[in-house]
Amino acid sequence: MAILTLDHVVKRFGDFTAVDDLSFSVPEGGIFGFLGGNGAGKTTSLRMALDILRPTSGTIEILGRAPGRENASEIGFLPEERGLYRRMKVLETIVYFGQLKGMDAAKATAEGKRLIERFGLGEWTKATVDKLSKGMQQKVQVAAAMVNSPKLLILDEPFSGLDPVNQQVLEDLVMEMARKGTTVVFSTHVMQHAERMTSRLLLLSRGKKVFEGTQEEARARLPGRLSITSQADPSKLPGVVAAQRTGGTESWSDWDIEMKVGSDLGALLQQCTTSGFALRRFESHRPSLHDVFIRLVGSSQEIAQ
Amino acid sequence: MKSIFLVAVREYRQIASTRGFWVMLLILPLVIAATQVAGRFIRPQLNSAYVLVDATGQYADSIHHRIELNRQRYELGDLSAYVQRWGAGSAKPDAVWAKGDRWFSEQQVEQFIAEGGAPAALELITPKLPKDAPVYELEPPPVVLADVPAGVPVDQGPDALAAGLAPYLQDVIDTPLGERPLGLAVYIPADVGPASPIRMWTNGAPNASLIDAMRSEVLRIQRAQTLVAKGVAPELAAQLVDTSVPLEVSAPPQGEGRELVAIRSVLPLALSYLLMVTVMVTGSMMLQSVIEERSNKLLESVLACIRPSDLMYGKLLGLGAIGVTIIAVWVGAAVFAAFSVQGMVADIVKPSLAAFNEPWMIIAMMYYFFAGYLIISMLYLAIGALSNSLQDAQSYLMPVIFLITLPVVFMMVQVVQTPNGTLPVVMSWIPLYTPFAMLARMTAGVSMMEVLATGAMLAVFVVIEMYLLGRVFQASLLRTGQPPKLGGFIAMMFGKQTQ
Repeated sequence: MAILTLDHVVKRFGDFTAVDDLSFSVPEGGIFGFLGGNGAGKTTSLRMALDILRPTSGTIEILGRAPGRENASEIGFLPEERGLYRRMKVLETIVYFGQLKGMDAAKATAEGKRLIERFGLGEWTKATVDKLSKGMQQKVQVAAAMVNSPKLLILDEPFSGLDPVNQQVLEDLVMEMARKGTTVVFSTHVMQHAERMTSRLLLLSRGKKVFEGTQEEARARLPGRLSITSQADPSKLPGVVAAQRTGGTESWSDWDIEMKVGSDLGALLQQCTTSGFALRRFESHRPSLHDVFIRLVGSSQEIAQ
Repeated sequence: MKSIFLVAVREYRQIASTRGFWVMLLILPLVIAATQVAGRFIRPQLNSAYVLVDATGQYADSIHHRIELNRQRYELGDLSAYVQRWGAGSAKPDAVWAKGDRWFSEQQVEQFIAEGGAPAALELITPKLPKDAPVYELEPPPVVLADVPAGVPVDQGPDALAAGLAPYLQDVIDTPLGERPLGLAVYIPADVGPASPIRMWTNGAPNASLIDAMRSEVLRIQRAQTLVAKGVAPELAAQLVDTSVPLEVSAPPQGEGRELVAIRSVLPLALSYLLMVTVMVTGSMMLQSVIEERSNKLLESVLACIRPSDLMYGKLLGLGAIGVTIIAVWVGAAVFAAFSVQGMVADIVKPSLAAFNEPWMIIAMMYYFFAGYLIISMLYLAIGALSNSLQDAQSYLMPVIFLITLPVVFMMVQVVQTPNGTLPVVMSWIPLYTPFAMLARMTAGVSMMEVLATGAMLAVFVVIEMYLLGRVFQASLLRTGQPPKLGGFIAMMFGKQTQ
């Protein structure tokens, strides 16, 4: 069952089209990556899902309902642009957001205290926000987003501004919530995070979807790459698009090989073995999400340009 | 509804935690308290005693009479002001006290004394006073003549007298009105002149008017004596020194009860002024609050939880509650001062409160106050949402503040003189100014029809304003870039989205 579905959604601001005929769905459970460069339409899409903006056309369904504040009690949201009331105390801030999401004060206070401890801010509970460092303030905002133990947690660039230690703390917390059943949608353009955390992902470019699926499916969109050391030229092997000699000796050469998209590397190895194609090295390179992003988003932008 | 309340509570708590709020809240009670305290300290020391030893035997009676004349002149002035304030001049239209406070000639004061002074006048005045008039309190004489205590030598020269009176100058002395501090002792030597001056001793708090009365009276007698010594007939000499410029001072404009009308309009005017002050203060707080939310980039988090309209209403409610708190404390302090202390504040506020004798009047005033608050607050809220910084806000705010305050201040000045003059009446029909003008004119004979008609017009205006500016507020919350120009502003009002 999908927890968030966008169906042919368009959002225009005057003559500018921020989201262009976007359709995708986020299945319940797991972590869904929302990837795209600057201006790809990620934040606008998330704002529409939260009813902060209304789509120009198309329909959105979130938690089985139309977007609206009545969903707030089941949603946690950490926006990309963050800020807090400077003169409010740390715990007060978290409780305030908990209450805005429909929690009662006692429950919000208890959960707020737990999160404060979890983020190592125990001694700052009664301090006003303006006394905290930027990193600490980010943690308070994350806590405010999570205080209602949401069914759906939407994080817009959650790791920006956090140091590596706190990035890890947040990553652990998000993974823990996902394990407990929370569906997490997070947007990022830092591919390492997406690679580690997401089960499914959506790639956006200039408001349009360029890919939706699992990481493996994304990688399969890229041609496979091999490094081999062989006696013969591998150019004629099935599935090979190009082979480049990179070194070796008189009898054994090192090759970089680009395969056709969707080639089965295991089958190629088997064929080499059975056909007597002598190999000393057979090393497949798994494309990173970064490569996928550059390839898919980059080419889409080139097309658009 | 719960969201609106939560936002309102947060706004209220945030503002209430600032020093500026407490300064604002307490400034009027402190001013009232300071007025009371200062009144006590500034008032000249009353009821002090003086001792006069006149070795010539020719000045004492004249000096005592002069002092009494001065006292009665003040009494006559106070009584005349009281009669004018409470419209009681009809008690005896030709009486010297029936024409308002002004400068009184010696003859007029003598006439007042001859007719029995304030006690006799009050017997005539009291039946003509309105019910809400405070009782006129007869003040005891500020200075009382005391006899030289037994044992103090009066015929051994000034030094012996000074030595004998020294303990009394540091303490009190018996007078016909009981013990009083001895403020001044005077010795007029038999051969008073440049070589033998009049000697005076004080207790450190000399009564300047008393000293002046003695000095001028001795001078008057000495001038007469000099004229006589130069051959002028004694009667003519007396006439010459008593000659004064014939003078009658009138206070424009005359009119029975005019001051009463003015006093009764004090509270409506004050409420109109309060509306202006509180709405400006809370408006600027509201503006800062929205700008903080926009510049701190926390609006998106808030808007993910609540509707923009809830945020807007919550702000209006929370900061409205701040305004109500300020007004409640200010009005409470004034009413407390009116009923628990004496003095100027009480004299003004009591009759002013009494002017609200119709329940509809109170309801109408609350309505105008509320509507005025909404009209101006919405302007501030929209400006806050449009602005990226306080500097941006200033450029929008200056014309708005001028547009509101200047006509209102002119109107208030006119309301004091002619509450139903052209400017106040015309402004009553311009929605932006209706609350101020109607509040200020409320006790000046405004008809129920006018109240109902302006009230209905105001309601329509508030609804339209909240709808249009509400759209601007909502469209501006997540706007980025430069604040819009007039065209963009109008586009927002009519729901055309820009980014």
